[in-house]
Amino acid sequence: MAKNFTRKQVLAGSLPIVAAAPLAKLAWPSTARGERSATHLGHDKPLEGHAAMIGAEAPAPGGPHDQDDLLVPPPALPYKAGRVRAYDVVAVDRRIEVAQGVFFDAWTYNGTVPGPVIRATEDDILRVNFTNGGSHPHTIHFHGIHPGDMDGVFEIVQPGDSLVYEFPARPYGMQLYHCHATPLKKHIHKGLYGAFIIDPKEPRPPARELVMVMNGYDTDGDGENNFYTVNGRAFYYAKYPIKVKKGELVRIYLANLTEFDLINSLHLHGEFFRYYPTGSTDHFEYTDTVMLCQGERGIMEIEFHNTGVFMFHAHQSEFAELGWMGFFEVSD
Amino acid sequence: MESGSLAAKLSGAHWRLWALLPIVALVGAIALFVSTGSSLLDLVGQNPPPRDELDVRRVEFRPGEIKVKVTNPQREDITIATVTVDDAVVPYTLDGDRTIGRLRSTTIVVPFDWVDGEPLSVGVTSSTGIQTTKEIAAAVETPQASAKGFLGYGVIGLLVGVVPVALGLAWLPSLRRASPQWLAAFMALTAGLLTFLAFEALAEAFDLQAALPSGIGGVGLVLLGVTSTYLFLTLLSRRLGSREGTVGGLALATLVAIGIGLHNLGEGLAIGTSFALGELALGTFFVVGFMVHNVTEGLGIATPIAEGGRVSLRRLAILALIAGAPAIPGAWLGGFVTSDVLGVLFFAGAAGAALEVVVEVGRYVARRAPGGLSSGYVVGGYLAGIAVMYVTGLLV
Repeated sequence: MAKNFTRKQVLAGSLPIVAAAPLAKLAWPSTARGERSATHLGHDKPLEGHAAMIGAEAPAPGGPHDQDDLLVPPPALPYKAGRVRAYDVVAVDRRIEVAQGVFFDAWTYNGTVPGPVIRATEDDILRVNFTNGGSHPHTIHFHGIHPGDMDGVFEIVQPGDSLVYEFPARPYGMQLYHCHATPLKKHIHKGLYGAFIIDPKEPRPPARELVMVMNGYDTDGDGENNFYTVNGRAFYYAKYPIKVKKGELVRIYLANLTEFDLINSLHLHGEFFRYYPTGSTDHFEYTDTVMLCQGERGIMEIEFHNTGVFMFHAHQSEFAELGWMGFFEVSD
Repeated sequence: MESGSLAAKLSGAHWRLWALLPIVALVGAIALFVSTGSSLLDLVGQNPPPRDELDVRRVEFRPGEIKVKVTNPQREDITIATVTVDDAVVPYTLDGDRTIGRLRSTTIVVPFDWVDGEPLSVGVTSSTGIQTTKEIAAAVETPQASAKGFLGYGVIGLLVGVVPVALGLAWLPSLRRASPQWLAAFMALTAGLLTFLAFEALAEAFDLQAALPSGIGGVGLVLLGVTSTYLFLTLLSRRLGSREGTVGGLALATLVAIGIGLHNLGEGLAIGTSFALGELALGTFFVVGFMVHNVTEGLGIATPIAEGGRVSLRRLAILALIAGAPAIPGAWLGGFVTSDVLGVLFFAGAAGAALEVVVEVGRYVARRAPGGLSSGYVVGGYLAGIAVMYVTGLLV
């Protein structure tokens, strides 16, 4: 008997085309800016697939600019001998919304997960005034080159106590910091980490700069992550796509601080980028996918060749569908 | 003299007031405790934070859609935050409020392109991040309450319930020619197979209750089911029985039929539920297995009648229906409603009924059998009853 396609199969086969339509329409920037929903395009049928997970439909917590301080780093400063870069960091216990409607009892630096972006130029004196306002002993352990007593391993800061970390910022590149109190796994997965950018003395070319810290949350305490995010909120950049210009240099400082899982990754749709592992040398790879172990980080440089809506996400499909995905909206 | 006058006083209207005293005192004690409750807690420590618990009652599959019915079994309200299918966050709609109160239910509808016949897990995460996951052995389109499905489950119930019992009853003419020793052996065999059914049903009830959320109190539900049918059948046997207090003949056969009927109700429910949830391959072998397994039940009903006078075919048909027909509504309920609470109650009830009938049959055998309960025929028959059920049970 000849095998004909059933009605159901034909419908299923046409789904990608149906789903592509609203995305294609997104590629045309509408004249009305502002709070335009990416998906409210006058459809009567419920949207399916990724088309149902973008714009207002995406199940992400928070408003459009809540995450700006974590996404956009403070500006790079040109090198000046003997300059001190001072930051105040306070560890606080805080219940945060990590996915739409899901609250997590986090341990944070300055109230957010990830913590604030710390930035210095190579050979600046980095001075971090750390106060432990949390309920457990904490530290800050910086990646990079520094004296042994500034390593945040043996200098445990008890609740209520303070410590000043001070050392010359070295070497240039994308570094990171995290708590190194024990149990280490607990202190990291609770949210005590952040990005630490050291700029080269010779400034990098001007660019649209972004920070992305990849992480996960085990909200039910079973040793497996329930949600994955960049910069702390599941599906956030699906709800609020990152708007960039075609042809402009986009530089992303990327770090992986995901606990429990061996690796995390980033894949960009429709484009290639230069990836500088750790960003401390000129060595780069031209690719659209990078894979990072916990603690690994690097710098991506992208120039979008096309306008449109381009997805970026972990290329572990599970991570992507548990929150680690977003979109770039590229316009002329 | 003193106590006598006290008794006289109590027999008056005053005893009603005295009976109220403990209740009044209890209310007072509770009020006192509630008003000082928190300070008492301070003396012994603090409560651990409650961990959200959600009961996924039923997962239905429609083309391009998954429907998940959830109930809040805990004292505190629960707020549904995200829904996952196979560890992927999915868009969903609710038929009511996000926050559901104790024992309230809501239905989550997920547009989803599920794969026919493949396993799938549905997760519901509450606002505190606790995820409740329901594993589905195989996604199959949930049968709707259609005339065709109704007929289908009816036929299944008929095949595994009524038909084998009726066939087993056909042993009646042969049993009438059996000697008293052999008849006693067959009575004991009936008791044996009922004991097996009681244990099987009890195990099933405990299995099902273990999966229930703790708020529903599964063990109490089992006990309630067991005792209520046990006592109901005891009462019924007193009604049906002769003055000496034991039942025999047709009355005993009716009791056996009721016991088996309650068991088949649970069995039908289990078959219907498993099939609807895609946990069961409903093949020819399965139905044949159940038929062989249940033929012995007909034998159990026929044996008590064998001693007495002639019984009309109509009576026999009624007995076959009492014992076998409950499998049909059982299959309907299981196929279209699916409720673990109902399952626990049905199986516990079946266990209670079967145990009661074992006691009745035991009394009867003790009085009537040559050599009483300890005769080789009786002991052998009892063990044979259990063994036959065990061996035929392996077919299913």
